Amino acid sequence: MNNSLLIVLIASGVAYGTPLLYAALGELLAERSGVLNLGVEGMMLVGAVMGFWTVQRLHATTGVALVAAIAVAAVAGAMMAAIHAFLVITLRASQIVSGLALTIFAGVYGLSSYLGNNLNLADQPARHSFSAVFPSSMQKWPIVGPIVFGQNVLVYVSWACVVAISLYLSRTRPGLNLRAVGESPAAADTMGINVTAYRYVHTIAGGAFAGIGGATVTLAITPQWVDGITYGAGWIAIALVIFAFWRPELCLVGAYFFGALEALAPQLQARNIQLGPTVLWTSSLPYVMTILVLVVVSSGTARRRLGAPSALGNAYVREER
Amino acid sequence: MRVTVERRLRQPRWLVVAVPIASVVFALAVAALVLLATGHNPLTTYHQLVDAAFLQTGSLGQTLISATPLAFTGLAAAAAFRMKLFNIGAEGQMYMGAITGAAAGLYLGGRGGPSAFVIASMVVAGCVGGVVWALIPGILRAFFKTNEILTSLLLNYVAGYVLTYLIFESESYWRQTKGFNATVFPTGKPLPHSALWPGWTIHAQGGIAVPLGAGFGLLAAVVVWLLYSRTRFGFEAQVLGDSDRAARYAGVRVRRKILSVMALSGAIAGLGGASQVGDFAHALDGDPNGLQKQGFGYSGIVVAALARYNPFAVVLVAFLIGGLQNAGNTLQGATFPAGLVGVIQGIILFSALGGELLIRHRIRIGRRVKGPAPTSPEPAA
Amino acid sequence: MKRTRKLALAALLTAAVALIGASAGAAKHSAAPYKVAWIYVGPHNDGGWSQAHENGRLYVQKMLGSKVQTTYKENIAVGAQFSQTVASLVAQGYKLIFATSYGYVNKAFAAKYPNVLFEQATGTDVSKNLSEYFGKAEDTVFLSGMAAGAASTTGNIGYVVAYPIPEVIRHANAFALGAQLTHPGATVHLVWTHSWFDPAAEKKAAQSLHTAGADVLGQNVDSPAAGQFAESVGIPWVGYDSDAAKFAPKSWLTASVYNWGPYYLKRVKAAMAGTWKPGFYYGTINDGFTTLAPYGAGVTAATKAKIATYEKKIENGSYYEFTGPLYDQSGKLRVAKGVKMQVLKGGTNSLYGMNWLVKGVVGSPKG
Repeated sequence: MNNSLLIVLIASGVAYGTPLLYAALGELLAERSGVLNLGVEGMMLVGAVMGFWTVQRLHATTGVALVAAIAVAAVAGAMMAAIHAFLVITLRASQIVSGLALTIFAGVYGLSSYLGNNLNLADQPARHSFSAVFPSSMQKWPIVGPIVFGQNVLVYVSWACVVAISLYLSRTRPGLNLRAVGESPAAADTMGINVTAYRYVHTIAGGAFAGIGGATVTLAITPQWVDGITYGAGWIAIALVIFAFWRPELCLVGAYFFGALEALAPQLQARNIQLGPTVLWTSSLPYVMTILVLVVVSSGTARRRLGAPSALGNAYVREER
Repeated sequence: MRVTVERRLRQPRWLVVAVPIASVVFALAVAALVLLATGHNPLTTYHQLVDAAFLQTGSLGQTLISATPLAFTGLAAAAAFRMKLFNIGAEGQMYMGAITGAAAGLYLGGRGGPSAFVIASMVVAGCVGGVVWALIPGILRAFFKTNEILTSLLLNYVAGYVLTYLIFESESYWRQTKGFNATVFPTGKPLPHSALWPGWTIHAQGGIAVPLGAGFGLLAAVVVWLLYSRTRFGFEAQVLGDSDRAARYAGVRVRRKILSVMALSGAIAGLGGASQVGDFAHALDGDPNGLQKQGFGYSGIVVAALARYNPFAVVLVAFLIGGLQNAGNTLQGATFPAGLVGVIQGIILFSALGGELLIRHRIRIGRRVKGPAPTSPEPAA
Repeated sequence: MKRTRKLALAALLTAAVALIGASAGAAKHSAAPYKVAWIYVGPHNDGGWSQAHENGRLYVQKMLGSKVQTTYKENIAVGAQFSQTVASLVAQGYKLIFATSYGYVNKAFAAKYPNVLFEQATGTDVSKNLSEYFGKAEDTVFLSGMAAGAASTTGNIGYVVAYPIPEVIRHANAFALGAQLTHPGATVHLVWTHSWFDPAAEKKAAQSLHTAGADVLGQNVDSPAAGQFAESVGIPWVGYDSDAAKFAPKSWLTASVYNWGPYYLKRVKAAMAGTWKPGFYYGTINDGFTTLAPYGAGVTAATKAKIATYEKKIENGSYYEFTGPLYDQSGKLRVAKGVKMQVLKGGTNSLYGMNWLVKGVVGSPKG
C-alpha cells in the first residue's frame, strides 16, 4: 500500500519539493518588500556548492558538519542577494536585468561552476548527508509512514519556516510593515518605516533561504556536486510564489505539487503506464501545468483580491514620491 | 558631507556612450582582480582573449558564427524589453524557428545551388515559428494578465523537449532515416543543397566567412530601429513601456500592442533559429548537447541589456560578446576553468547596470546638512 | 564641473588603451612537444563518461611526460562551439584531437583540417584523417548483469537508461542476458531519463523502479545517484563507467568500466612516429579496453567464480552473449540459433543498429 503510485507520488512530492519550498519562501519575502529577484537559480547553486564544500572539508561530527553547512549555504546565498539588493535598491538598476545578471554570474556556467571546479568538489559523495530522522519501523506505517515520517530534518524545518513566516506576515509589527512597504512604499515611508532597510533585509534573507534550498539538493536529495545540479529549480520557485498568491502556506502546496509532477514521469515508466506518445510529454507536464496555473491565478478577479505587492519591481525613490 | 542622488532631466549624449565604456573598463579591472586571485595573469589572459576573438587567423569568422545568433536573440530581447515586455522566451522561440525553418528547407529544397525562393521561404517559416511560440505568452499577458517572464521562460523548457522529441524520440519528418549512420545515432535530415544558406568571403585574415544570417541580422536591426524611431508603432510602444496609463489615455490599444511586439520579438528570434539551420547546422539539431546547450536566448538578453536596447548597439555588442564566447572556448581548459567566463560576463553586466545609475542620475557631493535637494537646471551638454 | 568630467573620461579611455597595450606585450610562446587535445561533452570530473576519458588523458601525459603537451576542453556542445574549439586548438598547434562524443566530427569536418588527425568515440565515419573508436562494453555489461541477477531474490531488476539509441539498447540487452543467466526468468525494467548525466532524474528513476518492485538496480547513465539511492534503501547496485564504490559502499556490486588510457597511448605514439592510420577500432576485454570494476561485498564467491568463467570464455572466443537464438520482447525470434550478431553488419540485427529489446526486458525501446 505504501508502494502504491499515489502514496509514492505524495512522499516524493514532499521530498523533491523541499528545495523549491525554501527558495519560494525566500523569494516571497523579497517580493513582499517590493523587490523582484530573478537570480534565485544562481543563489541556489552557490548555496548548494558552498554547503557541499563545508561538509567535505569540515572535520566534525555529522550533526555539526551539517548545521555548519546549512549556515554556510545561507550566508553564500545571502551574499549573492546582497549584490542584487545593492544594484536595485541603492543604484536603482532594473530589477529584471539585475536578477538575470545574477543568474548568469552565479549560475551553471559561472561562479558556482568555478567554485565546484576549484575546490575539487566533483566526483565525491558527500561525507555527511541528511537522512530520514524517524526509525524505519515508523516509516512503514500506512500512508503517514513514507509521507510524514520518511523525510529528513530539512523537510521538517521547512514546515516550521512556513508557519513562522506566515505568523510573521500576519501577526507581527515588522511583518505588517513589510506588507506596507511592498504595497505602497511612499505611504510606508510617510509612516516612518525605513523602506530601504526593509528591502535590503528581506532581499538578503531571501537569498539565505535560496541558499538553503540549494544545499537541500546537494546534502539531502542527491548528495554530490555537479555543475548546475538544481536544473532550473530556481525558476520554478519564482513561479511558485505567484502560484501561491504570495502566501507561505500555499507555497508549500505548490512546491509539493510540483515535486510530485517531477516524480510522475519515472514513476509511470517504472509501472509501465504510458501517457502520451513519449516520456518527454510527461516530462514537460510540470512546466505546462505551472503555466496553466499561472494563467488561472493571474486572471483579473484573482489578482485584485489576492494579488501581487503593488510596488513589486519598482525602485523606490523618495524624491520622486 | 552629504551625497545626494537626483534624477537628471536630460541625459547628455556623451554620457550615454562614456558610461558603458567606463563600466566595461571597470568590470575588466574587477575581473583582473578575480583572475589574479585565482592565479592567472590578467594581462596575458586579456591578450589571449583579444587574440582568440579577433586577431588570430580565422578568429573573426568564428566570432561571427558566435555573434550571429546573439544578434538575433539580442534584437528580439531589445525589441520587447524596450516596451517593458520581458520576453525571456527567445531561447524557445529560436528552437521553434529552427523547426519551421528546417521544415521549409526540407520540403521545398532540391538539388542545385542555393535558391533565393527556398531561402526566403525558410526565413518566412522561421519567423512564423517564432511568432507562434511568442504569441502564447503574448496572449496570456494581453488577455489574462499573466506574467510573461515566467510563461515565456517555462515555454523554453517545453520547446526544448519538442526539439529533442523530433530528433531523438521519433521518426519525424526532420529525422534522418536513410543510411546506416541514421540507425546508430539520431540526427537530423540534412538539408538539400538549394536550402543551404550561402555566405560571403571577405579577403582578409585568410578569408573571413560572413554567413547570410549575419546580413539578415543587420537588416533586422535596421527594421527594428526604423520601427521604433520612425513609426507610430514604435512611438506607441515606447509610451506604453514608460507609462501604462499615459498610453491608454493616448488611445494606444494596449492588447494589440502587446501582441504585435511579442510577435515582432518572436519573429526575430525565430529567424535566428532558421539561420542556425541554414547557415550552420544544415539540419535540425535536436541533440540536447547541441543547440540546446548553447543558451543563445539567455545570452541575447545580456547583449540587449548591455546595448541599452538600441538595435545597432545590439549588433555591436553581439559581436563583442560573440568574441568573448569564442575566446572563452579557446581559453577554457585544464588551467582555465569554464566557470570564469560566466563570472566575467556577470561582472561586466553588473558594472553596466551600476553605470546605468550614472546615466539617469547625477550624484552631488555637497556640504549641506539639511534641507531639500536642489534641482538646478542641467547645464548645456 | 564639465572639465572634470571630460578629464575623467579621457583618463578612463587612456586606462583602457593602456590596458590593451600592456597586454599586447605579454604574449606567450608555445613549446616543442607534440600537442594532443581531448574534447569532452560534459565536465571533466563528472565521475562518469568524460572522467574516464580524462583518466586516459592523464595516463598518456604521465607515460609520455614532456614529449607531449595535452589539454582538454569540457562542456563543449555539438555544433558551432565544437568547431570554434577545434579552430582555436588547431591555431595553437594541436595535431591530434580526440572528440569523445558522437556527432562531433564527420568526414566533411575532418577534411577542413587535412593536417590534423581526428579520433571520434562512438561514431562511424572514417576518412584519411578521421578514425573511430569504441569498444565491446556490452561484454562487461553482460558480466555485470550476471552479478545483478545473482544478487536478486525476486528477479525484478531495475535498469536506469538514458536515450533509446542502439548503444544503450544493446547494453540493456546485454545486462538482461547476463542477469537471466544467473537468475533464470529475471526481468529487467527500464526507466529512461533522457540525459547521460542528471543525478536528480536518475535518483527519481531508481526510486520509481524500487517502489515498483525492483530489488537490485543497474544503470547505463553516468552519475552515481541511483547508487546513493540504493544505499539508502539497502539494495544492491551495479554501476557504469567507473568504480563508484565510494558512493555506495554497502550496495556496490561491480560495474563495466572503460579503460581508454592504453588505446590513447597507442594512438598518440603512432601519431608521433608517423605511423598513425585511420580505422574503426572496437576494443575488447582482451586488449584491456573494458574491464569489470572491483567487486563489492555483496558478490558471493560462487558468483565471482561463475563470472570469471564466462569472462575467460568471452576472451578466448568460445562464448558470445549476442549469439542466437535471441527473442525480442514479443517473443519473436530475431537472431537464429548459432548466428553471432556483428558490430556493423546486419541492419537492426547489428550491434550498432539494434533497436529492439530482448525477451525479459520490460519497457519501450522508443523511450
